[in-house]
Amino acid sequence: MTEKVFTRFRMATTAMLVGACAALGTNAPAHADSNIAGKKVIFVPIAMGISLTEGWVRRMKQHADIYGYTLDVRDAAFNTGAMTELLAKAISEKPDVLVVHNPTVQLLARQIKQAESEGIKVLQINLQSNQPSTAFVGANWERIGREIAGDIVKECGAGSGKSGKVAIVPGQLTAADSVIMNEAAFKVFKEHPEIEVVSNQASDWEPEKARQITATVLQQHPDLCAIFGHWDVHTMGAGNAVKDAGKADSVLVYSTGGGDSVACKAVEDGIQDRIWSYDADGQGRDAGTMIDLLLQGARSADGSMLIVESPLKIVKAGPEYDPSLCWKM
Amino acid sequence: MSDVAIRPVGRSRRENLLERVVAAVTVVLIVVFSISIEGFATLGNLKVILSNAAAIAVLSCGMAVVVVTRGLDLSLVAQMVSGALTFSILVANGTPASIAILIAITTMALIGMLNAWMIAYVEIPAMLATLASAMFVTGLFRFAVLQGGFLLLLPKTDPTVAFFAGEVGPGLPVSVALMVATLAATWFLLNATARGRVIYAMGDNFQSARLTGLPVRTTTIVVYVFAALTALLAGLITSSASGAVDFRTVTNGTLLFDVILVVVLGGIPLRGGRGGLRNIVVGLALIVVLRNGMTLIDFTTQTQDMLKGLVLIVAIVTDNYLNPRDTETDTVGDL
Repeated sequence: MTEKVFTRFRMATTAMLVGACAALGTNAPAHADSNIAGKKVIFVPIAMGISLTEGWVRRMKQHADIYGYTLDVRDAAFNTGAMTELLAKAISEKPDVLVVHNPTVQLLARQIKQAESEGIKVLQINLQSNQPSTAFVGANWERIGREIAGDIVKECGAGSGKSGKVAIVPGQLTAADSVIMNEAAFKVFKEHPEIEVVSNQASDWEPEKARQITATVLQQHPDLCAIFGHWDVHTMGAGNAVKDAGKADSVLVYSTGGGDSVACKAVEDGIQDRIWSYDADGQGRDAGTMIDLLLQGARSADGSMLIVESPLKIVKAGPEYDPSLCWKM
Repeated sequence: MSDVAIRPVGRSRRENLLERVVAAVTVVLIVVFSISIEGFATLGNLKVILSNAAAIAVLSCGMAVVVVTRGLDLSLVAQMVSGALTFSILVANGTPASIAILIAITTMALIGMLNAWMIAYVEIPAMLATLASAMFVTGLFRFAVLQGGFLLLLPKTDPTVAFFAGEVGPGLPVSVALMVATLAATWFLLNATARGRVIYAMGDNFQSARLTGLPVRTTTIVVYVFAALTALLAGLITSSASGAVDFRTVTNGTLLFDVILVVVLGGIPLRGGRGGLRNIVVGLALIVVLRNGMTLIDFTTQTQDMLKGLVLIVAIVTDNYLNPRDTETDTVGDL
């Protein structure tokens, strides 16, 4: 009898171990028992095919798989006209949560309001509209603008022995991040009259346009001290213009970005010097968690927007350089 | 065909009036910018102007040859980015640069032939054929080659990228040397070959050229393949300089608009049959000087686009006033 019980126990243990190994081997996420299975989430990004949005979707999909809800991605492919149409279509489908990535502060404001009034919870990701909604997950652009401007003042301002000349290369002057970062930076620069912003021209997020603007500005101001690019991708063009002009040692190139391995490579190659990373991989996980909570009925007590601010990582060239700050797709 | 074109007395001078007006405006702008903008009238800024002009100049050569035949290539910028992508992705995957460039040339020549086939054999209007081809090429290359992406970043450490972004001699960037070579090749094609005569004849009166027995179909192939190859060259110059192949240049950018602006402002009418190297240089000079000056003044991109659009409208209205359509020019196939 004892032997029979022992044999059964041994068989059960073996079966459990085999099962556990199989589960680990397939690397499949564990599925949570929840009451949000079968719910519908639609994400309308500015464009897929860039590490930022691909990184978010990877993490959001993991959450959807765990909890059993669906995540549909509707790619606007940098076409703002198509984006409003996609959003209108998404609203008409009455999803439980709508995730939007605002290209400008105005463009989707009316549709966000409409979705919320129809009972659809809207999560804005990384770029915020003028119109508040149920939740926001993303970078604190005011903080990034202020911190970068503060660093520029430290490097180029009084006592630095530098000219104090700064060129700003925004993406678009009406884009949420560009608007907020410029406001914050100019507020800091206003307190430091030795800082002179010699150029503030949008590149339309294009590296070649950023390169041409920077090459021209560098020619007019050979003693330029720093360049503040609003996105690491288009700032690649600006950084290359600085490098081609042989000024990589005298001009500091600042930018912000999702912090994937390309950002670290740019710092390694001396194309950019300091990148304020909002860690798109972490943002994707935060967005996934926020969607889980919204689907479970989370809402702030006073009806204000739930906000998750993304922690920042600063990728810096020089002795402080740490490649582990960047993530890989 | 006679070597001497018979034209009504005084017409040639009238036709060149737009070109002269644009040249005069450019000179005025140069003087005003030199006086009012610090750092404009310097040798260094001239180098920047030439370097920034290289890609648009090369593209304008391709577009000008097409427009002279009374055509239009709206797929030029899509071809530019696709050509650069083909080359860059092959090099990034370890293909020797010489083979990569041969494959890119072949691919672009095939796209040029596809455009020409649709226009010359299927007889679809050039504007519609190249618009469709621009969409097809962009979609195909984005999804089949770039796997849905928009952007390919290029390492400046790659020897080929470094070559295109470097200098052939002290103070002479490779991009500027390629621009001069392309301008010379355009002049040669239009002025020193029998094919050049056919190109002008096609633009002047397509039906007459065809009825006369001129090889209009094969010339269309030559013209669109030439345009595709200039697009590839412009793509290599741009992507090497900025370190990125970026499809947003096709979908969002104003480069195609700038190229048409250069051609029209230079005095090459969209109804074809006229124009040459001098017109390209005149149109190019105005656009690059205007762009450089506006950047130095720190105008926003929106203001720059608005002013360029205004300049184009004024140029087209002036062109229509100076070269009114008559029974000879107002024929089937006009844009």
